[in-house]
Amino acid sequence: MHQLLSVLCCLGSLAAQTRDYGKAYSFAERKPVSKVEKVIDGLLPSIVKVHGASGVRTIQAYGTGIIVSKQGHILTLDQVMIQKDRTRVVLHDGSVHQAQLLPEDPALGVRLLKIDPSEVDGELRAVWPPADTEGLGHTGQFVVSLGNCFRLAEFSEKVSATFGVVVGRADTALRYRMSDVKYDGELILTDACNNPGHYGGGLFTLDGRWLGLNMRLLDSTETNTMVSAAIPSTDLLPYLDEYINGKPRQEEAKANPPVWTGIVLFDSAGQRSPPAYVERIVKESPAAKLGLRPDDLIVRIDDYSIRTCREFRDILTKYAPGQTVTLTYKRGTKVQQGALTLAAEPAK
Amino acid sequence: MNCLREACLVALCAAFGAGVVTAQRGVSPDEFLDLEPVLQAALRRAAPFTVAIETFGGTRQVQGKDGPMDGEMPPQPRQAPKPKPEPVPKPEPGPDEDKKDDEKKEDDKKEDKKPKKPLVAGGFKQTLGKTTGIVLTADGWILVSRFALALEPTTILVTVPGRGTFHAQRAGEDTSRGIALVKIEAQDLPVPEFADPEEVKVGQWAFALGRTFANDEPTVHFGIVSAKNRLFGRTLQIDAYTSPANYGGPVVDVRGRVLGMAVPLSPSGRNAGVEWYDSGIGFATTIHGIEPLLTRMQAGEVLQRAWLGVQFSPSHLGPGAKIAGTPKDGPAANAQTPLRKGDIIVAVDGVEVKNGPHCLMLVSSKLGGDKVTLRVRRDDAELPEQEITLANAPWSEQQHAKDADLPASFPLPEKNDGR
Repeated sequence: MHQLLSVLCCLGSLAAQTRDYGKAYSFAERKPVSKVEKVIDGLLPSIVKVHGASGVRTIQAYGTGIIVSKQGHILTLDQVMIQKDRTRVVLHDGSVHQAQLLPEDPALGVRLLKIDPSEVDGELRAVWPPADTEGLGHTGQFVVSLGNCFRLAEFSEKVSATFGVVVGRADTALRYRMSDVKYDGELILTDACNNPGHYGGGLFTLDGRWLGLNMRLLDSTETNTMVSAAIPSTDLLPYLDEYINGKPRQEEAKANPPVWTGIVLFDSAGQRSPPAYVERIVKESPAAKLGLRPDDLIVRIDDYSIRTCREFRDILTKYAPGQTVTLTYKRGTKVQQGALTLAAEPAK
Repeated sequence: MNCLREACLVALCAAFGAGVVTAQRGVSPDEFLDLEPVLQAALRRAAPFTVAIETFGGTRQVQGKDGPMDGEMPPQPRQAPKPKPEPVPKPEPGPDEDKKDDEKKEDDKKEDKKPKKPLVAGGFKQTLGKTTGIVLTADGWILVSRFALALEPTTILVTVPGRGTFHAQRAGEDTSRGIALVKIEAQDLPVPEFADPEEVKVGQWAFALGRTFANDEPTVHFGIVSAKNRLFGRTLQIDAYTSPANYGGPVVDVRGRVLGMAVPLSPSGRNAGVEWYDSGIGFATTIHGIEPLLTRMQAGEVLQRAWLGVQFSPSHLGPGAKIAGTPKDGPAANAQTPLRKGDIIVAVDGVEVKNGPHCLMLVSSKLGGDKVTLRVRRDDAELPEQEITLANAPWSEQQHAKDADLPASFPLPEKNDGR
């Protein structure tokens, strides 16, 4: 009895040892795969490699796309390399397909490609923006980013999966190389790096919901550092619906007529715009009604930070006459707020 | 008997089973599904005391170690009158006041004619984006990164989430830790809980929060604590991305307790930025345990790393640190019994010195103005024990040239911004 017990104890401690130190990790033995691995496995057939026109050395002729319909629609980032008759798509099984170009969405900078589904073996696996957006893409959510970074995947090789976290959601001003990127809307920032080729790939939650479309690796003009951003998938919905489901889009708002505040700033000509200090206030203007005074420093319009006179002018173009904004300004050492009703430009 | 055997077998199976489960849990990315709510909770706890810092005015760009690329000041309007209760002895820098200061200095015929250099170098252009800060006390002391004040702004505004925006007055700073203090007129602010650096373990989760991009909630980067007691016991090293997007923000543990503040630092004290921030090497200045320094900073003091003014002979391997030279403006050369080449420092503050780097380690953990007691041996006889007041670490081009002669393991003196 005692012998048996001691043998059992020995075995038990052996077992404990096996558990603690383990043996060499073996892929063959490991089953079942984890939930996250299953999710990535399920998503990979929806991610395609996109190859386009080359020419300029600094512009990659490769990227990534996402299958969004069984009829062969593929969404990708609209880039220089996407040219008529010169865009090819490589599916996960290695088959190459010539892609037709559908009209791009200039505001989002994305474009749909179309391949012939009858040429495809089996059925295309499509993803679609999730209907349930509850808790989707919030700060601190872990994500997996899929894309063909640096053209590492050829033929039937799978694209790369990188892991990260949603750093935040922001409408920061962005820059690509030397030029500003026009993108008006909130972006999902992640720390999963959008390396060259990862562009147009997808950002997914660990439970497999489609979070966004990877943008290029951009600079934030607010920090001068690189950020990896993705266009939220829900923002892509109107464009996808228009070209895949034939739902007409709502008319976009026209540019606002200029507004007038009666604030004259202490501005200077030239490249650098100084902070938005008030030089004088026009009598009987909206600003005079609010009680603004010379030397006040305007720091915010609603939630927009005003760091410079130029930003003050730029932000005001987002508003139309008659709208009321909350103006935050610094007077002496006090920070004050007031409602400013914007007027139309007075006739001269 | 049978019953017992069965029980044992069951126990054995359980042990094996547990082994398999543990092995699988240990390698599965599903663990991150468990971590996510933890990260969220830490974020929620830390958000209230993570404040946004906006600055206005000042020199427009800071680049490289050679000083501002665009050193000119933007046109400034007349300065607003200052309030009577002035917690900051330092006036807000403006072009007029700078001039006045300069005139005063010339009148006094005092030293310090060096041009003002930017506080933070690092090879990237400083921008006007928001930075981050931490509430330190409920009555309005805010800890910020010196990075936030690199432009010498004329106006600093602090936005406390849910409480509004406040005008801030600048107080002192600690250049060796990369931190500065500002004061806002507010009460009952949410204050953080600070983690004891002694209890921090290498490998534990570390979340770095920032307010640069986010409007409502802070941004978050996650990583682990990579090392402790870096830069002479001043900071933790973390591998969460730190960048201008979260400098000044808290680095918190899973319970939302502050491990430190993300700041651009490097062992040499210069080029703290572009080469480091994207490489998974970040520094979080530990705040727990430096309360006396914070009191001095509240009084407006600018603290800098200490400098003894000795160069060590790399060929002397110990025991003791053999002096290879003493710069003539250094504290060692101007001590009561001046130290000189060939002397061996035996002990600093009663701690036996093992070798040159050890001696530097002991001295560099102190601040300029601190006193150290040295035991020095000269020609086989020990000099009487003496107390030396350490100077602020100088930073000049000559010093720069001398640095090149030091062995790689020797730390370089902290940059002196000339103030």
